[in-house]
Order: sequence, then C-alpha cells, then structure tokens
Amino acid sequence: MKNHTLFNWIFTLLASLVLLFIIAPLIGMFLHTSAEEMRSTASDPVVIRSVWYTLAIAFAATILFAIGAVPLAWIMARRKFPLKNIVQGIIDLPVVLPHTAAGIALLGFISREGFLGDIAQKAGILLVNNGAGIALAMAFVSLPFLINAARDGFAAVPERTEKAALMLGATQSRIFFTISLPQAWRSVVSGFIMMFARGMSEFGAVVIIAYHPMIAPVLIYDRFNTYGLSAARPASIIFILVALFFFVLFRVLATERRQIFRREDDAAD
Amino acid sequence: MLRTEKLCKRLDTFLIQDISLEVSAGAYYVLLGRSGAGKTQLLELICGLTTPDKGRIFLEGKDITHKRVQNRGIGLVFQDLALFPHFSVKDNIMYPLKVKKLPLKERVERVQRVAEEMNIADLLLRKPENLSGGEKQRVALARTLVTQPKILLLDEPMASVDASLKDSIMRMLRRLNRNGQTIVHVTHDFSEAISLASRVGVMHNGQIIQEGTPDEVFTNPVNKFVARYAGIKNFFRVIFVRSYNCCSCITDNRIKFKLPKGDYPSSGLLIIPASEVLLSRQGAAGVQINNIHGVIEDIVPSPLGYEVTVNAGDHFFADITRREMDEQKYVTGEPVIISFRPESLKLVGEGEEMNKY
Repeated sequence: MKNHTLFNWIFTLLASLVLLFIIAPLIGMFLHTSAEEMRSTASDPVVIRSVWYTLAIAFAATILFAIGAVPLAWIMARRKFPLKNIVQGIIDLPVVLPHTAAGIALLGFISREGFLGDIAQKAGILLVNNGAGIALAMAFVSLPFLINAARDGFAAVPERTEKAALMLGATQSRIFFTISLPQAWRSVVSGFIMMFARGMSEFGAVVIIAYHPMIAPVLIYDRFNTYGLSAARPASIIFILVALFFFVLFRVLATERRQIFRREDDAAD
Repeated sequence: MLRTEKLCKRLDTFLIQDISLEVSAGAYYVLLGRSGAGKTQLLELICGLTTPDKGRIFLEGKDITHKRVQNRGIGLVFQDLALFPHFSVKDNIMYPLKVKKLPLKERVERVQRVAEEMNIADLLLRKPENLSGGEKQRVALARTLVTQPKILLLDEPMASVDASLKDSIMRMLRRLNRNGQTIVHVTHDFSEAISLASRVGVMHNGQIIQEGTPDEVFTNPVNKFVARYAGIKNFFRVIFVRSYNCCSCITDNRIKFKLPKGDYPSSGLLIIPASEVLLSRQGAAGVQINNIHGVIEDIVPSPLGYEVTVNAGDHFFADITRREMDEQKYVTGEPVIISFRPESLKLVGEGEEMNKY
C-alpha cells in the first residue's frame, strides 16, 4: 500500500511537470503583456484581418479536402489491397516531414513551373502568394489528422451492419451515407477539428508558399522579426484566444449533438 | 426451392468442399455443426456475400450464383443481429422499404404489421442499445421479414438470447415456418435441430457429413461425430469376433460385449443410448445380458435426474431418475455393474468410416 502511494506521488509529480511545461510559457506571455498593449493590438486592423483570414482559409481547406479525405479514410479502413502499408506511409508522411521542407516540395508543385501551378495559371489563378496556395499548404500538413481519425472511426463501425444493409437491398453508396458515415461521425468530426486546428496554426509550409497575404502565424513571426518580442506577444495572445475559442466551440458543438442524441434516446425510453 | 451444387470455397483456415444440399419450399432445414465448421461461410455463399470458387446455387430453379446480393430475394439474420445502432427500431425495420422507395403509407403499414406479428409494436421508438437480447432478436427478424424473403437464413439465432427466452423464439420460428416461410437455420445445438427441423444437415470441416430427417440423423448417426451431436456418449471402437453360436466384440480397452446374431464387419463403432444402460449393485439377470463391472467416477445432475459415469476400463454413461438415486444412494468410488441388452448396441460406422472425425 505504501509503495502504491509512493507510485501515485511520483506519477502525479511527473505529470504536473509536463502540464506546467505546457502552461507556463502561455501564462508568462499573458503576464508580460499590458492591457494597453492588448487594447491597441486588438484594434489593429492588420492583426484582426490576419486572424480572420487564417480562420477562413483553414476552414475552407478542411472542408474542401474532407471531400477526398473521408472516402480515402473509408478505403483504408475497409479495403484490402496490395501495398496498403505504403499508402498508409504516404498518408502519414506530412507529419514527419519538416514543415519548411514540405513547403519547398509544395512550392515546386504549385509554382508556375510546377504541374498544378501551370494548370492553375492557364486557368488564370496564381497559387503562390495567394489564399489558394496557403490553403494547399495548410491542407498538406494537416490532412493526416483527418484521414487517420476518420479511418479509425470507419474501422470501428461493425462490418456486419454494412453487410446487413447490403442484404436488405442497399447500394454501396447508400450504405456509406446511411450506415457507415453516421456511425463513424464522431471520429470524422474529431478529425475535422484536428485538421482545422493544425491547419490554422501552420507556419513553416505557409511561409514558403506565401509571406503575403499574411496569416496570423506569419504576422506574429513578422512582428517579432521587425519589432521584437514585446510587439509579437499581444498578436500571439489574440490569435491563441481566437483559435482556442473556435477549437472549443467546435468541440462543444460536437458534444452538444451527442447529448441531443442521448436525450432523444432517453425520451424514447 | 434452394439447391446448391458442389459449392467450393477456399477460406483462410479451411475449405468448404462440394456442398450439395436441397431445401424444399416450406422446409425448416437446420445446419448443425461446431464453431468453425463452415456453417456461417456456407450461409454467406448462399446469400451472395461471398462468391464460390466452384459450384452453383439455384433458387426457385433459377441460377443465382452470380446474381447481386440485393436482388436474390434471400433474407439473412446475422448471429450478432447487426442492428443499426444509430436508428430506432422503427427505422431499422423501415430501412429496406426505404431502399425500395416504397410509398410512405405502405412503409408504415408494413412496419406496423410485422411489428405486431413479432410482438415488438411497443418498442418501435426505442434504440437497439435499450433492448434485451430477445427483443433485439425479434427486431432483427422483423427487419428481414419485412422484405418478404423467399428464403430466410438464420445464423445461430439463439446465440444472443438467454435460455428462458429460447422457447418463445423457437415458438415464433415454428409459427413462421408453419405460415409457409422456408427457413435455413444454422446452429451448434442439436436440441434446436430436434425441436425445429424438418431436415438436418450435419457439417464438419467444411463438408456436410450426414443429412436427413432429425429422426434419421439422430437415431442412425453415421459416425462418432454425429453420435456426439445426438447426445450419445456411450460409443466404442470395437473389433468384432465371430464364434460358433454367438457374436461378440471387444473394445479398444478389452471390454467384451455380447451382440445379437447377425453379420458384422471386422471392426466398427458401436453406440449405446444412455437411457438403455442400467445401473445396479447386483447386475441384471439373463444369459444374453451384458453385465460389466466398474466403479462410479462421477454423478452429475441432469434435467431428468442424474447422469452417472462409470469407469469399467472404458467409460459408460447411465441416466438414472431422482427416485432411483434416492432409493439406491449411489456414491462416487462405489463398485457397480452396468447392464444392457445386446439389442441396445447399434453399429454406426464400420472399418475406416469409424476413424473419421
């Protein structure tokens, strides 16, 4: 029993140290920023525009790429095919790449000399130094979060329910939309939130593709380089607060929906 | 109605081999076998969830081997029932009707009708997670029956219901069958086969090893495996011995049985129903009676009284009534004599046949 208590103390101490390591810099940042600095930064139109721009592009990139990422996740969960492990490796690649290297790779692909850039230019769209290029950079580094979460969600759906639907006459597409997706919904939404959160905080890949228009992480970096730490702090705080607000909002909305389902169940009883 | 011709399918661990079976319209066919015998795989082949490597499947005379699952007109209730957890009971049952794009009025009427038939009309607004095993079973059946399948396949339908509910599910299945529904029922429990089947197929290692009416299969098992399934525990590999005026045989453990006169092969498998084995301290009278000395090894309660295991070199199992037990007060370790008439012995396999399974 004594050993057990000692074990608990040691683990609690180690866990607290890790939590402190995460929270301390953030608290420090708040303590070192005056209310006046916060007020003036919050009313700076450049900062506000940059924050909204970041959120909008991250959201658009997540929605757009989810259209392909969710079917890919289903295939990874349900289908057996040769070289499946290699495909999984490709999906995970952006997580292990240095993000600046990912930006360089993407730049080669979307610049005027690149395959996609060439096609886009012929259609009158410039991807570099443009919101579309930023969305691609955000998606490139954050897609694995959505794909892997959705894949786990689809894998957890009992395959028998899909087979049962097939026996009841449903087509593959109907089974996907009425049986598989609703059951994997929580994981897909969770992946969606993670992709959005990861996308809006991306700096390395985005800064290679587009310094301007400035998304919030690039703006913070720019303020730091130009005016120093004290100028970068208030912009960082505002971005962190806004990002946290939306992150929590999405989580709450997802939970809220879950509770609505539960209330319906209880009412049915 | 349903006919399969030499169905073969290679699976990860074993092979479904040359399955040819015929289920006539209105029949209740029970496919009996241990877990892993290939029963579920055979059902999945019949309904089209997997395709056979060889062989053909006919339903109402038409070859459906390569027909799409959705268009076969076969209903399957899975062992785990596979209810849609995110739908209410009503939406579960209505699902196939929505798929068929039936008018709303007809959908509602059909759901209501089948729900009343299955006695689940009061559960329609519930979610599957709030149902008992028996209720889930009824919902799964209703969801399949609402499609009006030509043939209903049931994969271990009693697996998720407790013993007290089995009778009511069996009554319901009997009623369905009486109303003309052709049923193929897969189970590992021979009592279900006895209670429900008009025909039985015994499956082992991907093959059907015996087929017939329950009476044919359980009174004349072709080998030890089927005998075990029929609940027969007294079976002995024997070598037959002929002498001038009597027949006898010797078991692997050198126990000699007297047999009725007749022609016997050189070796075979003999069974004795436990109900035909008498237990006493003094033995039974009669020249021809087999009296074998042994020691009581175990006494366990059974639905009708007690099952007594006697070690006489070979193990014998005898059923005795509670009254007999109260009178005789048998105890383990006690020497006893087991007796049975030669006519009680039944030859169920001969030569190489007895070594199978």
